[in-house]
Amino acid sequence: MNAAAVRSIFLLCLICLGALLSGCERQSPEPGEEVVYRLKWLYNINTAGDLYGLEHGVFTAHNLKVAVKPGGPERDAIREVELGRAQFGVASADQVIRALAKGAPIVVIAQLFQGNPLQWIYRGGNADYAGPDDLRGKTVGITYGGNDETIMRSLLAKYSIPPSEVNLFSVRYDYTPFYSGEVDLWPIYRNAEGIVIGEKMARAGEKTSFFVPDLLDVRFVANSLITTRKMVEEHPDLVQSFRSALLTAWQEALAPANTEKTIALVHAYDQNTPQEIIAKQLAATRELMLPENGRFGQIDVAAWQQTERIMLEQGVIEAPVHVDKVLLLDGR
Amino acid sequence: MLPKRISQFLIIYFLGLGLLLAIKYCFSLSDYVIPGFTDIENTAADVFGRYLRAVLDTLGVAVIGHLLAIALATVVAIAGRGDNLVGAMIKTAAYNLQAYPIVAVAPIIFILLGDGLPSRLLIAAIICYFPLLLSFIGILTEPVASIEHFYVVTGRMRWQLEVKIRAFENIHKLMTVVTGSATLAMVGTIVAEFIGADSGIGYSLRIALYQSDMAKVLAALFLIGVFNSLYLVSLELLGLVIQKNMGVEPRMN
Repeated sequence: MNAAAVRSIFLLCLICLGALLSGCERQSPEPGEEVVYRLKWLYNINTAGDLYGLEHGVFTAHNLKVAVKPGGPERDAIREVELGRAQFGVASADQVIRALAKGAPIVVIAQLFQGNPLQWIYRGGNADYAGPDDLRGKTVGITYGGNDETIMRSLLAKYSIPPSEVNLFSVRYDYTPFYSGEVDLWPIYRNAEGIVIGEKMARAGEKTSFFVPDLLDVRFVANSLITTRKMVEEHPDLVQSFRSALLTAWQEALAPANTEKTIALVHAYDQNTPQEIIAKQLAATRELMLPENGRFGQIDVAAWQQTERIMLEQGVIEAPVHVDKVLLLDGR
Repeated sequence: MLPKRISQFLIIYFLGLGLLLAIKYCFSLSDYVIPGFTDIENTAADVFGRYLRAVLDTLGVAVIGHLLAIALATVVAIAGRGDNLVGAMIKTAAYNLQAYPIVAVAPIIFILLGDGLPSRLLIAAIICYFPLLLSFIGILTEPVASIEHFYVVTGRMRWQLEVKIRAFENIHKLMTVVTGSATLAMVGTIVAEFIGADSGIGYSLRIALYQSDMAKVLAALFLIGVFNSLYLVSLELLGLVIQKNMGVEPRMN
């Protein structure tokens, strides 16, 4: 390799380094500046409140300029928040706990879902899977590496069901094995795909039900609002303002009086889902998000601690992370 | 040849890793965003055996898929080399079909064939098949006028002879295309495993990404790079042997 080539490679490395470093530069928003809010997933019913805040002026009413950005499999809100590319994000408890185990400086300022929408759909009525023992001999879908695997393994361990007595099936986006009857229980988000699949099965004359780990005392916290500890310390007013705006937006989106507005809004962003389905999804989402007692967005510390315990027992994390220390119950 | 390929890969890998670690320590990023050296080392030690088996599984499928693609591309290119309706149709179909993204086609393949070996093989073959086909068609449709003229005017030209002449005269190009498509076969297999299979290093990568475990991803990338280099070297050596046996001056482009 001649000297010119070495110089060119060196220069290219420097340019790459410069570009990467500029991408990693942490930014704190100035007053009145736009804040970025990274969602956990693509626009669907689970983002109804976020979209409502954006489109119906709730953020503006709180003097906030917010850019709501969709998430997805390759967009991790925790990484975005730590890198300063977003100031707020949505993550599930298992993501938060994994990140804490690796030293991520994040905190939880609200818990959006009070019940976990991640459940298992199955054919038939309630009698077939009345209890965990009914899982014996069944084929149960799990996403290897996903939080449903952790939940199911924890449930099996809790009720002393040896994994050898349950046939675990690796699932992906294609539901054919469930439709064809190859798999008895399939993991889904009850308020999103659960409604779509349930409807399809109903059209084919088949009844479906849901296997709910929460009811068997395996509580695994789902979507929550996160930010960095630095944001809370340096911009407490902004954090409070955003938290308050978001919770207001969600409450308004879920309010029965605003049903039509919310359905139209979600449909505008998710045109592949018919409005009739969105209406059913909205009703299911209400049940999962509105607390039976207490305030909307409240953090269920006991459920978070159980989530951590489950992950520890399942070997997902190696040591306790003391998750309660990052749960800021009133966002402070 | 082998030390050169491996050292090239190691230089690129460790330069990339060094860059990531520089960013990590520069901005005090947590191990969640970019894993530290100790984390990578511990994770690599932990997953090495499992990932080694997975990458060998992937390599096996990639090699078979690559061979299938070469065989199929050879047959189709021979059929499509002519300047007639069949040739024109094959070329048009090849150009159009290669425009479909495999991530859109793969789920259909998995529905039809399930998540076992046939799907992985087919996707690996599809990904490297089209570039091979287009190159093979290009080579086999280009007349070698100085040699072919004699057989044409004497009426002794047959299609088998035409293919042999063109392949012989372009053996360096053919070997380069075959070697180059090996990486595509490996990529195709990994994509297939990532999307829908339940074994192989692509499947392990999917799980690591679900778990947001970058240390596992880096360990997998290392093994993929090493074994891909080994496969390329094997093909290059095979190419040299073939050229030598054909009496052609052995060289790689």
